[in-house]
Amino acid sequence: MKSKILIANRGEIAVRIIRAARELGLESIVVYSTADKDSLAVKLADQSVCIGPPPASESYLFYQNIISAALAINADAIHPGYGFLAENGDFADACRAMKIKFIGPKSNVIRRMGDKAKAKSLMKESGVPVVPGSDGIIDSLNSALELVEKSGFPIILKASAGGGGKGMRIVNEKKELEKAYNYASTEAQQAFGDSRLYIEKYITSPKHIEVQVLGDRHGNVVHLFERDCSIQRRHQKLLEESPSPAIDKNTRENLGEIAVKAAKSVEYDSAGTIEFLYDMETKEFYFMEMNTRIQVEHPISEEITGIDLIKYQIKIVNDEKLDIKQEDIERNGHSIECRINAEDPEKNFNPTPGKITQLIVPGGPGVRIDSGVYPGYTIPPFYDSMVAKLIVWGKNRKEALERMKRALAEFYIEGIKTTIPFHKQVMNNKEFLRGHYTTDFVSKFLS
Amino acid sequence: MSRLFPKCTRCKTSHFIAFLKRAHYVCSKCGCHLRLDAPTRIKILCDRKSFEALNEDMKSVDPLDFPNYQKKLQESMGQTKSNEAVMTGVCKIKGHPTTFAVMETNFIMASMGSVVGEKITRMLEYALDNHLPAIIIVSSGGARMQEGIFSLMQMVKTSAAVKRLNDKGLPLFTVLTDPTTGGVTASFAMLGNLILAESDALIGFAGPRVIEQTIGQSLPQGFQKSEFLLEHGMLDMVVERKQLRTVLATLLAIHSKRAYKAL
Repeated sequence: MKSKILIANRGEIAVRIIRAARELGLESIVVYSTADKDSLAVKLADQSVCIGPPPASESYLFYQNIISAALAINADAIHPGYGFLAENGDFADACRAMKIKFIGPKSNVIRRMGDKAKAKSLMKESGVPVVPGSDGIIDSLNSALELVEKSGFPIILKASAGGGGKGMRIVNEKKELEKAYNYASTEAQQAFGDSRLYIEKYITSPKHIEVQVLGDRHGNVVHLFERDCSIQRRHQKLLEESPSPAIDKNTRENLGEIAVKAAKSVEYDSAGTIEFLYDMETKEFYFMEMNTRIQVEHPISEEITGIDLIKYQIKIVNDEKLDIKQEDIERNGHSIECRINAEDPEKNFNPTPGKITQLIVPGGPGVRIDSGVYPGYTIPPFYDSMVAKLIVWGKNRKEALERMKRALAEFYIEGIKTTIPFHKQVMNNKEFLRGHYTTDFVSKFLS
Repeated sequence: MSRLFPKCTRCKTSHFIAFLKRAHYVCSKCGCHLRLDAPTRIKILCDRKSFEALNEDMKSVDPLDFPNYQKKLQESMGQTKSNEAVMTGVCKIKGHPTTFAVMETNFIMASMGSVVGEKITRMLEYALDNHLPAIIIVSSGGARMQEGIFSLMQMVKTSAAVKRLNDKGLPLFTVLTDPTTGGVTASFAMLGNLILAESDALIGFAGPRVIEQTIGQSLPQGFQKSEFLLEHGMLDMVVERKQLRTVLATLLAIHSKRAYKAL
């Protein structure tokens, strides 16, 4: 009997996992909310199970129904995709308790990396460079004051349990600190039920560089080079490329080694990403956080290395050894991904859910589309607004850029507004073309 | 299966035990505060390894030779690994020392017999002797009928002990949890300087069905629930379980010797 993988996610990532499972000869089952009954994933999967109404809290986050579905159809493994339950250690434990394999790292690694302050001090111990700041939690305003006297300004206050910008405050001067401290801890308490904060030096214009790692259950870890994800709007990535155009060979090698070391220090055993801040002025990089899941932008690493990350995730969970060594992984060419969202760039990127009346996707050499939509599909308003990921590959950055321009021009969507015009503009922006852009690129670009 | 995925007693949603633990046994779907055993309460509220039990060897006798009482006691002791329906002791909460009692509903519904009354009284006397505040996490089905008049006497004894504590200016905080009824409500539970309660707990003397049958009227919605009692001036605060440790620590800090001296 074929083994069965249950996909506890939706949209393009559900489709992506179905494709990998099918190529491995496995049966794929998707779960879906009533809002997603017509989704492409439901149409493509071998089997589908409805798990609840549209709100994610009652369907894609309602793990009880997901586990019930997995038991009902006798699934061998659950792939959580990204978002939803992907980085929930308790969910991973719940799966294992029911003898279902969780396709991802061990639950204690998820938990340790989920606590940002803990993750940072853990990395520091293993010799990974971290942004200077408090070692873990600051327990009071006084100790915060003491610390910044030494380190100087600007600094950033962050919630230990945080994410998505909540409980975060940038402080430029000493007199702002008290107010910002109180604000951030209250916000953190409200958002995460945990008011603990930590402090970091604030790097004014950094690049967001992340390294893809892949580990197995036999202690092997490799890296698949870096991705430059500095094109972000409010901490949401819009465009990614690999390799980063602003990093030299030495730094790249260094980053890779450090990332592998970091992953090994927590015995990482799946696909994961280690995020760094790269200071363009000092050429130094600092560990920011580790994402213990597959990421949206994983295809660009696949494109330049020829490695299918999702397939490896599945193989690893079946205790297979990595059949690739670091020296076998060659970096070939350049890849760029544009996230095509159902958002109106002219109206402050407001979501524009609705029916796609016509759809023509680009093709030709070096073009890949990862998407969960089709002509006539209605994008539901309940979830994120991603329509498609347009990924191109070129033998160098120049060719990749030309190819992306060409593909964007071919991409035609009728019925909803998308971010295609925004990406077209970015492709003609001098700073972007030069490659030295930093995380404030989008805000400068839009102002 | 039920130990791994226990169900919410109100909405019947099953939760994986790890999620439930992290949420302090509050249902994420309907907000119901599930009943807790005494050791779990201590774990959630007291500083790690700070709880030291007092009088834990005291055991009930069967003064009335009540049918099946001995058997029930033995069974409860086996189930709860505790000798009686209350655990008393001293502990620290966020560094603040206090005497601390927590009742165990799995032991004959935490009913108050001679030993429960005696242990509470002795704990309050310990607080008096050592100049400590007192916290009682209350839950009870009422006086223990198997001990007849002996159990009713515990209401008087505990109330008198609270009075002595009060005379010395030492605070008692009671936290009423689901269910707090009968003779316990009619004595020390309602004598706290501050009376706190968990959300949606049943708190009353006689149960709603008895009252309904006696007065021949239907009762208002939410009758005898914490929020209803708060609205009608019977409680000082309704606290979510997640916040309880912080609230208790703050109360202890406000009433500490240091705060007193600062005045």
